[in-house]
Amino acid sequence: MTAGDHPDSGLTGRPEVLDGPFNTRQLLRLDEALRLADQSTGFTFSIYVGELDEPVRGHAEKLHAQLAEPERSVQIAVSPNQRALEIVTGALARRRLPDRDCKLAALSMTAAFSGGDLAGGLVSGLAQLADHAGRS
Amino acid sequence: MSQYLQVLAPLVPAGLIALVITGLVYAGSARRAKRYRPGRSFDFTPVWFLSAPEQLNGRVDAPAGLASAAAGAALPAAAGAALPASAAAGAALPAGALTDQIAETGGASDRW
Repeated sequence: MTAGDHPDSGLTGRPEVLDGPFNTRQLLRLDEALRLADQSTGFTFSIYVGELDEPVRGHAEKLHAQLAEPERSVQIAVSPNQRALEIVTGALARRRLPDRDCKLAALSMTAAFSGGDLAGGLVSGLAQLADHAGRS
Repeated sequence: MSQYLQVLAPLVPAGLIALVITGLVYAGSARRAKRYRPGRSFDFTPVWFLSAPEQLNGRVDAPAGLASAAAGAALPAAAGAALPASAAAGAALPAGALTDQIAETGGASDRW
């Protein structure tokens, strides 16, 4: 289901996703990066961008637990206003994606975020995480 | 009357140019408003991206900020995924189950 398919958005209404932090081009890049990461690793990558309740780590872990297969999933949670980034890996994902590799990706992402490039940071971080995780 | 027209006629192109420039300036500022700038407040609807909607459990305990997005439904069209409409009202996980899953997680945290 897409935003355009939802009855509330209507044919003439503006999809709510456009009120999010990304424009159409950035959304397409993120979509492509997510699909590539999922396909190449066999894991489920997910990105949340929005406010995180304190403690932010706990909130990110709760979001991760809501995925269909949390143990095989990687959740990236970003709160631009709090300037917080959390990467959460499930038990199986963690075997191929150690915390050290996640930290490296996080450093790369926060470097882009500090320059104001949210989408670019997420895309490069996803690619880095998928690369570290390797083939499924 | 014709004297006035002769005086005003050359001003019309200048007026049009001024209008175009004004329009471009406003369009530019509207585009910039979307951009995130560290340290400045950045208001937007929270979003949650997945490559496929079936990868999200029905048991979503959506964050407060996302609830409004979920009610209007949708994760980005580009991401091809959407939160179920019932997501915002979804039940929270049993505390024990959630704790077990969280205990096995890894990853990293960072700030900028």
